[in-house]
Amino acid sequence: MLPRWKGKDKKAKKGAEAEALREPMSKIISQLQSSLLQSEACGFLSDNNVQLAVASEQIDLLDKACFGQPVRTVEKDVVWFQLSLEEAFYLCYHLKCLKIKDGGSGIQSDEELWTKIKSKNKTFPYFYKAYSHLRMKNWVVRPGALYGVDFVVYRHHPARVHSEYGALVLSHDDDKDLNGRLNVWSDIHCTTRLLGGVAKILLVLYINRNGNKDDSPLCLANYTVQERTITRWIPEQSREKGSSC
Amino acid sequence: MEDKAWGYCSSEEDVDDNNTDLHLQNASDDEQNHHFSSHSFPKFQPRVAKSKGVWKDEIGMAEIIEKNGKMWVTTGICRSNKTYSSIEETVYLMELGALQLLEDGGDRSLSLVDMYQKVLGRTRGCCWEQFEVYRHLKYLGYIVGRHGVFWSLKGIRSSHKTVTLEDSKESKQLVDMGCKVELPIDDLFNELQINDLRPDFDVYPPNSRFKKSSPGDPSFLLYLARSHPPSRTGIEIEALEKQCDGIPLKIGRVTGGQVSFFSFDKVELPVLP
Repeated sequence: MLPRWKGKDKKAKKGAEAEALREPMSKIISQLQSSLLQSEACGFLSDNNVQLAVASEQIDLLDKACFGQPVRTVEKDVVWFQLSLEEAFYLCYHLKCLKIKDGGSGIQSDEELWTKIKSKNKTFPYFYKAYSHLRMKNWVVRPGALYGVDFVVYRHHPARVHSEYGALVLSHDDDKDLNGRLNVWSDIHCTTRLLGGVAKILLVLYINRNGNKDDSPLCLANYTVQERTITRWIPEQSREKGSSC
Repeated sequence: MEDKAWGYCSSEEDVDDNNTDLHLQNASDDEQNHHFSSHSFPKFQPRVAKSKGVWKDEIGMAEIIEKNGKMWVTTGICRSNKTYSSIEETVYLMELGALQLLEDGGDRSLSLVDMYQKVLGRTRGCCWEQFEVYRHLKYLGYIVGRHGVFWSLKGIRSSHKTVTLEDSKESKQLVDMGCKVELPIDDLFNELQINDLRPDFDVYPPNSRFKKSSPGDPSFLLYLARSHPPSRTGIEIEALEKQCDGIPLKIGRVTGGQVSFFSFDKVELPVLP
């Protein structure tokens, strides 16, 4: 399936593709990174997200880079962004451009933050590995609940292109049942059918811990990710194409 | 399939932003399985000249003693100038009315019911679901053989000379007429050992020039899923892929008479700019 750029007609679609090429995601992310660094951005940890107050030029960058969601408030010069835990940890641990406070205990070290998030959410190490794996390849990763998956994955900003994949995070060795997905056939039928209907492919990210624990974010480096797509093959439609299957 | 008299369940498909052109994948689903009324139920013309076979219970195959029709180009395996058909091939041809099957050593004809019972008995390396998958693909013109069973030994002698099989293994292959190791029924329901996983069928695309002596590589190998999806999909799919020699693998699944196929393809998303 080819990327589906957005636009009313062919010309507009070409335009969206050209714009994306002119402004690659890696460039946007590094602009965001230096901007947040310069302003010594600091968010705070709330239940299962991170709140970050930003000034106007960063609103634009966060939006372009597809991090978080703006929250409407009456405050004039400041906009609050709500970051998912994966997004926040990526900015903090991988891009090193965000500090995170936790209520009373001040700025958290990477280790402290990791432990805190993990205590609330056992699957976080897997989800973060999956998120960062795709982000590091400059794919845009957004929550996928609306499509019944863990993430939706875009080639560029969602304003320019439709997402190509709906992603599920599974454990390779299945030492623990992560989120109970794809354990029954009906779920495989359901997910491929739903995603097929909205022109997405089911992407499964098998996270293999390779025997490592998850005590520290340093362990992440030893985790590996296997990508597989699950698609339905329809023999009625493949007869003529011969070898293509 | 063309006769779509029952329009009531046509698509009320998911509506995404602008993807009206994207329902191709699922379109055929709605056209299948809607021939209730007898006039549209597919019936086969009984053949005038049937082939004849003798059921050999000890090898779980039929020895073909009279061949009529072109289907033998893509059906049955050849061993020392004889043709043997597996149970799924035998039953399929009987359903088409293309094969008359005789009891071994007797004159009695075996009926379709006799043979269905053998399939249901699961003792001939083929269970009912496997038969359904086989039949589904055959209807569509695919060429289907048991995985790892040579169509003919001629091809092997000529084209596989360089392959050095151990003596014991080779002779085992020669004797192996295509039946899987007979598994106790329980094992088919329980999770098989990872290492015991092996594809069920070799599937070739429809090809009028197919030759048993040089079949070429199958376009994919088919593994028929048991009751649940591979629970440790990552590991199980890998174990199956190891036996595929780089040939694509597909997973077949049968439920309620519907056959579906899935690919679990390893991919690597590119690094974007």
